[in-house]
Amino acid sequence: MLHSDIKSRPTYTQLEPDLSGSQHLLIVEGDTVLPGRLDSLAGTFAPVEENLHTWLVGTQAGGLGLGKVWRLPGVADVVDAFACATRGYGIGDRLYVQGTEPFLWSVAKAAAIIGFSAEQIHLHHAGSLRRRVWCTHCHTVTEDVTTSIASCAGCHRHLLVRDHFSRRLGAFMGVMVDAEAPGEVPAVEESFA
Amino acid sequence: MSIAFKPEETFRGDYSYRNSDAAVLRFPFPFPEDRYMYSVNIEPHVRSGPSDVFLRPFDVDEHYIAECRDKAITLERDPGRCQVLPHMMMAQWDTLELLMENLSADYPEQFSLIKEGDDFGSRWTWINRPLGIEQSFIFGNAETLPCEPFEYITRQAQGDFAICDQRDDNLFMDAGMVTSQADWSLEFDVGMSFMEWHGPVPLAHQTGVFERALKYLLMLRLGQPVRRLNWTMSINPRLDTSPESYPEWGPDRASVTPDNAGQKVHLRVELQTLWRLPRSNAILFPIRCYLASLEDLARVPKWGARLHRVLSSLPPQLVEYKGLTRYLPAALEWLAQHDDGRELPVGTEPGITTLGPR
Ligand code: HEM
Repeated sequence: MLHSDIKSRPTYTQLEPDLSGSQHLLIVEGDTVLPGRLDSLAGTFAPVEENLHTWLVGTQAGGLGLGKVWRLPGVADVVDAFACATRGYGIGDRLYVQGTEPFLWSVAKAAAIIGFSAEQIHLHHAGSLRRRVWCTHCHTVTEDVTTSIASCAGCHRHLLVRDHFSRRLGAFMGVMVDAEAPGEVPAVEESFA
Repeated sequence: MSIAFKPEETFRGDYSYRNSDAAVLRFPFPFPEDRYMYSVNIEPHVRSGPSDVFLRPFDVDEHYIAECRDKAITLERDPGRCQVLPHMMMAQWDTLELLMENLSADYPEQFSLIKEGDDFGSRWTWINRPLGIEQSFIFGNAETLPCEPFEYITRQAQGDFAICDQRDDNLFMDAGMVTSQADWSLEFDVGMSFMEWHGPVPLAHQTGVFERALKYLLMLRLGQPVRRLNWTMSINPRLDTSPESYPEWGPDRASVTPDNAGQKVHLRVELQTLWRLPRSNAILFPIRCYLASLEDLARVPKWGARLHRVLSSLPPQLVEYKGLTRYLPAALEWLAQHDDGRELPVGTEPGITTLGPR
């Protein structure tokens, strides 16, 4: 679980079914599924299994006891699935997402667009601490950053990854680390493995 | 009241921005005491105070024309400095009305507003003489303006503006015109809540400053605006110190020496006011920025000495957060010659009415 004193980063909770909902959708990033973990999720969601759909993303792991299981190759497919959703989602729906932070916020954003309110969405951080980094200078997003300083995928500047998080962008802020003294780049550390 | 505008001055390139003697004397110096720490420094925004900048709710000064031009340059290069979320249209009109009414009432020589009615659907005519603008439009109909109402009016005002929507006992930064900010990004912050956008500020969360400030603001009442001063420092009189353009202005921080600090290092003071808006119930947050070089400030003996003391005792977390680390020693060395150690009276007034020669 992710604990931090970064004020702009949300606190993520353990998943548990919200019994006030009538339909439940669980979306799990495959990489973050530890052996045995799906079984324990099945246990957690047993009370709502009748009305549970589970989307397993990028994994062949079994989904026994997770309601109607659907497999998707990647997060982009989740976003597409929401964008093309033919069945209307309503106030009785609850969404639970487990994954790395970039995964959580890609899904949460796509869900918000089709009408999920913040109260209907439950996010649980699991797996790698890698960050999505948004470059303040060229506004390009760099994925899968595990180091304290990363090269921007857009403008190639060395970005210091600041502890400031935007839910809208699902990303941390990256600021040119050697703007004041070009070329003076501090040692890069593996910080978000 | 006539104002001697300086339309040619610049806030980039050759940085020809200068303060007249009168502008130095009315500078909103922010330090009543020799030490500084964050606090809930909010007071009613009444038409009086230790500096003339408080005499009118929206202060217009000699830099008005040049500042509006600098804003237009920044917007041309980066249109994302103005952002408005779709549900903020009512708040946009509230802002336009507030600014037009106050500016025309307080500066009749410069601005006029002719209204055929107060309500949506009425024809209004706005005249801005310094910028040579005359515009008739239907209040409440955005199609009748050259751009959306918030952008339209804030392009014609000094300083930055944020509009905070109030819901769920919180404030959300759902609109902004931000071209002269002290190193924060509207593109990153837009849509954030009060605690989120204040996330990077050190020490103040822990001491409950933000919790109390938010509680206070949620109860802000129509017709009872409040204000506070915030400050940082900038190298050169540059308005656009955004994170977006940091690669351009960052190197200037490494150019400061004890010899040039007096001219290069500027105190940057933000007069921030907070206004409840009538129709949208949102809060308008204008951030009016004043710049003065150390040399300007040291012409007021009390200010030169006081600034030296505040900066020498500033908590290290604030030095780091405000980005002063690289040049603070040079600035302090320059300021030391203006501090003879005498006891200074409490308060921010200059204590003199004319400046000595430069
Ligand atoms: C509701 C309108 C307000 C808005 C839109 C606003 C916005 C901001 C922003 C964007 C920052 C920069 C944060 C960063 O580093 O990214 C900031 C800093 C700060 N704000 Fe606010 N703020 C508001 C009200 C207040 C109030 C009422 C207080 C009163 C205590 C306050 C105290 C501060 C302080 C102490 C800082 C740090 C400034 C520095 O050291 O330079 N703000 N604010």
